[in-house]
Amino acid sequence: MRGHCDYPSSSKDSSSSPLSLFKPMRRDLSTDLNLGLSLSPSYDLQDNLPKEREKLSHWPPIKPLLRSTLEDKVGQNSSRKFFVKVYMEGVPIGRKLDLFAHNDYESLLNTLRCMFSAAMICPRSKTDHVLTYEDIEGDWMMVGDVPWEFFLSTVKKLKITRADKCLQFS
Amino acid sequence: MARGFRWTPAASFPDEVWEHVFSFLPGDADRNAAALVCRAWNRIERRSRQRVFIGNCYAVAPAAAVQRFPAVRAAAIKGKPHFADFNLVPRDWGGGAEAWVEAMAEGWPLLEELRFKRMVVTDDCLELIARSFKNFRVLSLISCDGFSTAGLAAIAANCRNLRVLNLHENEVEDNCPNWISHFPESFTSLVTLNIACLEGEVNISILERLISRCPNLKTLRLNHAVPLERLAGLLHRVPQLVDLGTGKFSAEHHPELFSKLQLAFSHFKHLKSLSGIWEGGPSYLPAIYPVCEGLTSLNLCDAIVQSSELLELVSRCKNLQRLWVMDLIEDNGLIAVASSCKFLRELRVLPSDPYGLAQPISLTEHGLVAVSAGCQMLQSVLYFCRQMTNAALLTIANNRPKLTCFRLCIIDPHTPDYITQEPLDAGFGAIVESCKDLRRLSLSGLLTDHVFKTIGASANCLEMLSVAFAGDGDAGLHYILSGCKSLRKLEIRDCPFGDKPLLDNAAKLETMRSLWMSSCSVTLGACRVLAQKMPRLNVEVIDERNGGLLDSRSDDCPVEKLYIYRTIAGPRTDTPRCVWTV
Repeated sequence: MRGHCDYPSSSKDSSSSPLSLFKPMRRDLSTDLNLGLSLSPSYDLQDNLPKEREKLSHWPPIKPLLRSTLEDKVGQNSSRKFFVKVYMEGVPIGRKLDLFAHNDYESLLNTLRCMFSAAMICPRSKTDHVLTYEDIEGDWMMVGDVPWEFFLSTVKKLKITRADKCLQFS
Repeated sequence: MARGFRWTPAASFPDEVWEHVFSFLPGDADRNAAALVCRAWNRIERRSRQRVFIGNCYAVAPAAAVQRFPAVRAAAIKGKPHFADFNLVPRDWGGGAEAWVEAMAEGWPLLEELRFKRMVVTDDCLELIARSFKNFRVLSLISCDGFSTAGLAAIAANCRNLRVLNLHENEVEDNCPNWISHFPESFTSLVTLNIACLEGEVNISILERLISRCPNLKTLRLNHAVPLERLAGLLHRVPQLVDLGTGKFSAEHHPELFSKLQLAFSHFKHLKSLSGIWEGGPSYLPAIYPVCEGLTSLNLCDAIVQSSELLELVSRCKNLQRLWVMDLIEDNGLIAVASSCKFLRELRVLPSDPYGLAQPISLTEHGLVAVSAGCQMLQSVLYFCRQMTNAALLTIANNRPKLTCFRLCIIDPHTPDYITQEPLDAGFGAIVESCKDLRRLSLSGLLTDHVFKTIGASANCLEMLSVAFAGDGDAGLHYILSGCKSLRKLEIRDCPFGDKPLLDNAAKLETMRSLWMSSCSVTLGACRVLAQKMPRLNVEVIDERNGGLLDSRSDDCPVEKLYIYRTIAGPRTDTPRCVWTV
């Protein structure tokens, strides 16, 4: 893994400036790594969500609590759970999410799209959102920087930030 | 009296007598009607009313409600639209409880009972409740969020006479994991403790002490963090329970643990309702057999029980009136229900695999038909399945004309009768024509405007209607709004209903509590006309995609989500950025 890419913003590097978080993504990284960077519409090229499917994300009409129970059951047998809080700028209440119910960045993004509603997460160009996380050392990192397993071992909480705000840091 | 009754009712008796008479009126609607008879009755009724129900927190200003009914002891208030349950309403939509709690704290110091549903209740609200009402007894929060266990700690510490703490399907942060230790040692009044929705671990020893000293405890619903190993110990302290929600119901297999559990369950003599059973599987499920015969209510939606085990279980539950279960029960299990549970009134079958990822399950229209034939008292159905026929719906309609609630969700939208490939108009039509008392209906599958014609003409008692992916055009909505005499709540998504029926039936909207429409064909212009025409309606447009001002948009701009409700409070002032009152 090390040979494949070095982590410009790994948790070891607690002095890393926020700048490094928002480096343009290198295209040679695996799909997995490519995924987390931003939640802009271009993202949907990835899975080409047709409009119909996007709508159906809230169908069938079952309660989120039941949904999460179901997700547990599906990803079950080891009933391991890893809950982290997700915050979105402008939304007063954080939400909880089980990272072990996800296998990769893509499924995480899909859940977040449902949770905060796709429209909010993929608004028009100017207000793209960026998914960031706080690692165990308290640094804010860009989701997608590191392989999924490594991400799981360091993430403490998630935050969906407006991209223009992020750029202000740099 | 028949001859010469003079209509001066208030003059004939002192107020106290009328107050007493009014106290026999069974429902809010009757009291409302009485209040309209004359000024005196209005005055007497409002001064003596002890319970209020507010179906929409924005329909009346808190201060106005408090002022009109100064003697209220029990209040129930609902916030967000029902579709919030399914994530269709933005998280920050509103429904804050704060204004209400503040007004109540000011005007109703004798308040004893408070019930909130789908509202944002902050810890500050809970603290204010805990401080303000000296004789507070009942707190029920259903599908609420915004608070943490710190707020619950304030309730526990201060409400010395609390009888009911009912936390149902809320999202609660765990800022004070030890909140339950805040109940004072002298506190003994609990009758209901439902903490099933809490995520965090509960200190079992403190919980044991708490429930031991509350002799009237009848309902105890634990959360999934309570391990099975500790359940027997808890249950031995409360043999008087009527309603139990267990914690996690799986563990490594220990014969000793099994027999301890079985013994604990066999001590229950009054248990009527059982839920929880989180992750309950075949190894420990038989431990509950001793209570099965007495149960009237069983919720197995959190268990992972397969058909054969369920079959064994339900055939022991001869007195069941309410059964909530996953579709893992399959048709065979429901056939067993039909032959064993002769008193069943309510059946809910929820999807274990709503996205169709797992092996298909043999749950079809046959299961529901069997229950409708075998359970003669059946009144209420919520059923998720993947296939349906008109013939099946027709049979159900004929079998159970007393149905009051029929919610059928065929998981794939636009699914026709899988045998004839026809729309399901005839089937749903038969349901509304046959079931004269139907109050709640949810439609699914392939439906044309025909079904709405039948619904509009026949569903005279219908109060709540949910429609998704149905209809051909404006006519459908017109049939609903121009018919359905008793309609209060209408929620529609993904239907080709447009401006005309909405504007043509504008007056109808004022007789209803609310209308939700998302992904339909309504334009902003129609909303503007409607808002202008009907000043007592709040017409709210929800648009999460664009940050732009609503005023600058043209009339033909489509409206993504629309929520219309009647109100005497005017436009609300707490709208977030994505909500505009037209």
